[in-house]
Amino acid sequence: MIAKKVLLVGNFGVGKTSLIRRFVLNEFSEDYISTIGVRVSSKILKVDSTEIKLLIWDVAGTSDDEKVPKAYFMGSSAAMYVFDLSRQETYTNLEERLALVKELSSLKEITLVGNKKDLLTGDELEAVLGSLSTHIDLVTSAKEDDNVEDAFLALAKQSLK
Amino acid sequence: MKKAAEDHIKDKRFELLIDLLLADDRQDISLLKEELLEAKNFKSKVDPFVDAKIEDLRQNFPVYFGDTITETIKVQIKESQDEVVEALYPIMGKLVKKFIASEIAKLFESINNTINEKFSVKSIIKRFFKGKKTKAEDVLQEVFEPVVEELFVIGKESGLLIGSFSRGNIADKDMVSGMLTAIKAFAEDAFSKEGQDLEDIKFETFQLSMMNFKSIYLATATSGILNAEFKDRLTDSLNNLADTILRNREYLADESKLNNLLEEVLKDLEQK
Repeated sequence: MIAKKVLLVGNFGVGKTSLIRRFVLNEFSEDYISTIGVRVSSKILKVDSTEIKLLIWDVAGTSDDEKVPKAYFMGSSAAMYVFDLSRQETYTNLEERLALVKELSSLKEITLVGNKKDLLTGDELEAVLGSLSTHIDLVTSAKEDDNVEDAFLALAKQSLK
Repeated sequence: MKKAAEDHIKDKRFELLIDLLLADDRQDISLLKEELLEAKNFKSKVDPFVDAKIEDLRQNFPVYFGDTITETIKVQIKESQDEVVEALYPIMGKLVKKFIASEIAKLFESINNTINEKFSVKSIIKRFFKGKKTKAEDVLQEVFEPVVEELFVIGKESGLLIGSFSRGNIADKDMVSGMLTAIKAFAEDAFSKEGQDLEDIKFETFQLSMMNFKSIYLATATSGILNAEFKDRLTDSLNNLADTILRNREYLADESKLNNLLEEVLKDLEQK
């Protein structure tokens, strides 16, 4: 079976850990995230006919990404940048943030996901998506289990490229 | 006849006198009787409720008062730490003494077994021909024999597990490898200077050691007492192992082939 390291990055409170909690059964405590800034979870997926084990590194979001050890980003095959659709400060300067993750991880593409869709009305969601200058891959709701599996499937596909 | 009439009048007067003298007392007794009766009636009505409440308290005491009692005990312990320590000290002392005595008994037994074995005719002849002398270190080494419990070959940057040998039963070795790599990266980032690697993590008689190579690192978990000789042998074995893996990259692509190699290396290490 192929194993791939994938990253989950984004600001504090955007729901990265909730997405993982919805998607996998974790063995390690979430305390690791606040202690060393990362927690590793795993999940086996089937992409087309290929079985793949994703080692998901949930990297603690900080306002200053320089504080997260750069080594956490290295050797990864894919990354998902998560922002909170209901908090503008989590999706301002998205290009810059994505560029930083690309620089640290040496990845060419990042899957962009807007989470907490359940907190917005249809019109509000449309307005937020219209205001973004970057292409967004998926809109999710960890709370309502909406599009969560698809988001990780997109991440797995990206890791195989 | 006249006398009988007089007696009758006297009796009547006497009764009248009794009535006059005891009027108040009789009223009091009557009131007391009423009160007693009222109390009895009240008791018979109230008793079932009181009994039910007592039963409820008995059943649900922890629910009603658990938090309050816990808080009270906490405060009491906090405010009387010296008294608590004084009360517990002798008990703790006895427990520690008992534990140490038991462990020392085990140690004696183990040392005796090792000495008996080392001083057997067979061992003496073997040492005579090998030219080795018996040393305390030799005996202690047998008692606290170091054992490699786990051996992981891990991708240095990705933290992905490439191969492993395990005596224990680790549920998800991939996740353990990832977390170990994350902890290693965190420690190196936080404490070390540029280019320095985390090599050892110790907890009592268990030790995690990491040997870093260009694209991989080898992580071993060992139990027992690691003396210099064992460390040298282990380092040699792991260096040779890394050399074999990095010269023949097929090992990095074939997990079962690599796992067999790891088992062989550790078998050799034990036999040396």
